[in-house]
Amino acid sequence: MLTVSYIFAIPVVCYAPLEPGGRVVSSQGWPCAWCVQILALLLILAGNSLPCFAGPPQDGKAVQLAPDQLQHGKQTFEANCSTCHGLDGGGAMGPNIQGVPFRLGVDRVANVIKNGMPGGMPPFSGQLDANEIQQVVGYLLTLTRKDEGKVTGDAVAGKQVYDSSHCASCHTISGEGGDIGPELTTVGQSRGPNYLRTTILFPGTDLPQARIFLETGGQLQFLFVRVITKDGRTVDGTRVAEDSFHIVLEDAQGNFHSFRKDQVRELDKEPGQSTMPSMKGKLSETQVNDLVAYLAGLKGTP
Amino acid sequence: MRMARYICLMALVFLGTPVRSPSQNVPYERILRSQSEPQSWLTYGGSYFSQQYSLLKQVNRQNVGSLKIAWMYQPSRPVANLESSPIVVDGIMYITEPPSTVTALDAHSGLKIWSYTPTLPEHIVSIGLYATSRGVAILDDMVYIGTADAHLIALDVKTGAVRWNVHVADNIMGYAMTGPPLALKDKIVVGIAGSEAAVRGFLDAYDARTGRRLWRLWTTPRVGDPGAETWGNGAAQSAGATTWNNGSYDADLNLIYWGTGNPAPDFNDDDRPGDNLYTCALLAVDGDTGKLKWYFQFSPHEDHDWDSDEPPVLFNATIDGKLQRLVGFANRNGFYYVLDRATGKFITGVPFVKQTWAKGLDANGRPMPAPNQEPTLGAGTLVYPSITGGVDWTSPSYSPQTGLFYVSAHETGAYFIKGTGKIESGPPKGIVGGGGIRALAGEQSYGAIRALEATTGKLKWQFKLLAPAWVPVLSTAGGLVFSGSDEGNFFALDAETGKPLWDIQMGHAARSNPISYSLDGKQYIFVTAGNAYIAFTLP
Repeated sequence: MLTVSYIFAIPVVCYAPLEPGGRVVSSQGWPCAWCVQILALLLILAGNSLPCFAGPPQDGKAVQLAPDQLQHGKQTFEANCSTCHGLDGGGAMGPNIQGVPFRLGVDRVANVIKNGMPGGMPPFSGQLDANEIQQVVGYLLTLTRKDEGKVTGDAVAGKQVYDSSHCASCHTISGEGGDIGPELTTVGQSRGPNYLRTTILFPGTDLPQARIFLETGGQLQFLFVRVITKDGRTVDGTRVAEDSFHIVLEDAQGNFHSFRKDQVRELDKEPGQSTMPSMKGKLSETQVNDLVAYLAGLKGTP
Repeated sequence: MRMARYICLMALVFLGTPVRSPSQNVPYERILRSQSEPQSWLTYGGSYFSQQYSLLKQVNRQNVGSLKIAWMYQPSRPVANLESSPIVVDGIMYITEPPSTVTALDAHSGLKIWSYTPTLPEHIVSIGLYATSRGVAILDDMVYIGTADAHLIALDVKTGAVRWNVHVADNIMGYAMTGPPLALKDKIVVGIAGSEAAVRGFLDAYDARTGRRLWRLWTTPRVGDPGAETWGNGAAQSAGATTWNNGSYDADLNLIYWGTGNPAPDFNDDDRPGDNLYTCALLAVDGDTGKLKWYFQFSPHEDHDWDSDEPPVLFNATIDGKLQRLVGFANRNGFYYVLDRATGKFITGVPFVKQTWAKGLDANGRPMPAPNQEPTLGAGTLVYPSITGGVDWTSPSYSPQTGLFYVSAHETGAYFIKGTGKIESGPPKGIVGGGGIRALAGEQSYGAIRALEATTGKLKWQFKLLAPAWVPVLSTAGGLVFSGSDEGNFFALDAETGKPLWDIQMGHAARSNPISYSLDGKQYIFVTAGNAYIAFTLP
């Protein structure tokens, strides 16, 4: 029956990759090779004992999971969480939770599972033990890293590419930079190299999503929108907020524009486009690889 | 003067006769004639017909644009899942605060008069639902709440003192109560939640004065019962068909109308071939005996979680030159149905949103399934509508003034994935059966307030919303339709044309029934949002 309802006064912003074409890939649809690859990468990330699974460093501790525990975490997630959060964590009647452990840390996420939270998340302390909760959190950490790939470039050189390409005029890393694009401080945790490469070369293909509304999966973030008002003004920008009666854009100069829809003559949403310029043809293959290496290494400051 | 009044009051106390004012006393006859007091709001859906319609018309098309907040109330602690619809009687409003608190407010000012919170167990089992309450019922001098741990409690209407408290079902097994009770004659009728925990559904009636159980109607058959043959592997474990919202009542026919939820396990139908009576159905139940008079099953052998727990809307209208007694139902499966409410006979059924699971309905209203629309293992099957259907539990509205049925429609699909779990004995650990969906991206979905011709389901107009909304609807004799968006807008539309006339961003979606009442010559529109209970009025 699922009489779930959620309270999201503040849009939950998480990074949820879409396949080009817009179809969310099922976690169940992963080939086993993926799991192996992801585990291998995570071993590298954790850089210590075997087998293990690294949580965000700011937590001060990692989630230690063997492959069978991770598999059990997946099963526990599917049995208890997926009806609300979707089988891929991309949202259903509850929010998209892909990437949430990277932002909140594994301890806080475990706490939310245990105790619930105002706004709709029920406590699972009566249904899941601490071990099962840890396994679910471990599984959640894998959800945003579907399109993994390998780091082949040089991160130090990549930092120079980042600086010389003026990426910081739009993106923030550890408090430094602009606000037009997404913050990249921990992008290396939530995104794999392939995703980063695609975004650098084809920025509009795979926009991140924010889970805002109850009924559906994520809404595209950084969606390119053109507004033509009834009095003839044209404004281009990325959507930063929208409801049934209003839309707010941020233009390329960083100015916010708020419109009532009944004052708008045309409202063109352009999924597949981005205000971010493509680096294709502007950077060499080596430079792209280096930039990917730099970004993939951004794990946040402890 | 003051002393004289004091002496008078003391004299009453010493005489030993209870001080009973006529106000806040709501005998059955008063609810039956709720149309004669549009200043009040006496049931969940405004009347026994659950029309979500107010006869008040001070607020109308011309002046709704100047509607302003009159007062707001917020519980002392933040609440989650506020879906509480109020009862308003003689200047007092009765609300619930999740999970199971009942509060009486002064409907003029929003000031709290009393509040009652039951002692709930430290851990409430709430599987597939949230521990919330959609409101109370009122009868005579008591208000009634079904609690998150499945108790039915009667409170004194003036003080909130407990008159009686009965244990309806075992919360450990997944039973919970979220829907408002329905008070009629001398009894309190309540439904139950917990299909995802694989409980067996029922509908109960209790003596309003004492709390003694008068009858129980099980909503799934067991071995040997009529309907057991519709559970192909034997009905020994038949589960689901919970009754977790509110019902309606026709006093002339003495029939209670109540919807039922999905079978369990939901997304895995391997162990339950057959129609699985009386899941995803509308039941017509004798108001005295609790006997099933007729049923209409919207979704036989359901496996997409399309419960039928929306409050059934009763209305009378002329079809083929004859005034008929009808029930209208915008079902979660995407079809709008009109039935003869005396017999349950199917009159018409048409999709009110995009649906892909049925080729249509046959002459008896039974769906003709489309191929390959079942949940599957792995990537799943794309089906329209999504898990919450064309509309979920949020009340639609019927306006006798326009003859239109207003519903907040969801235009979206989802990939349905089959679960693998089975029903096991003992307390459930989680959702029984597993499975679930992957939602379509937001840009591929939208919502709309749709106005359907109530007798045919024909679309008269729609007002599009950015996202599918879980917001109930109110229509008024002022020619208005009130509803909201999931983005937090609350708005008024012209009931004839759908033209937007007023809106306000409230910071959170309204999840309770918008209602209307009147005090001292002022009409109020009332709704909740987030933590807030908000009354609007003209300046």
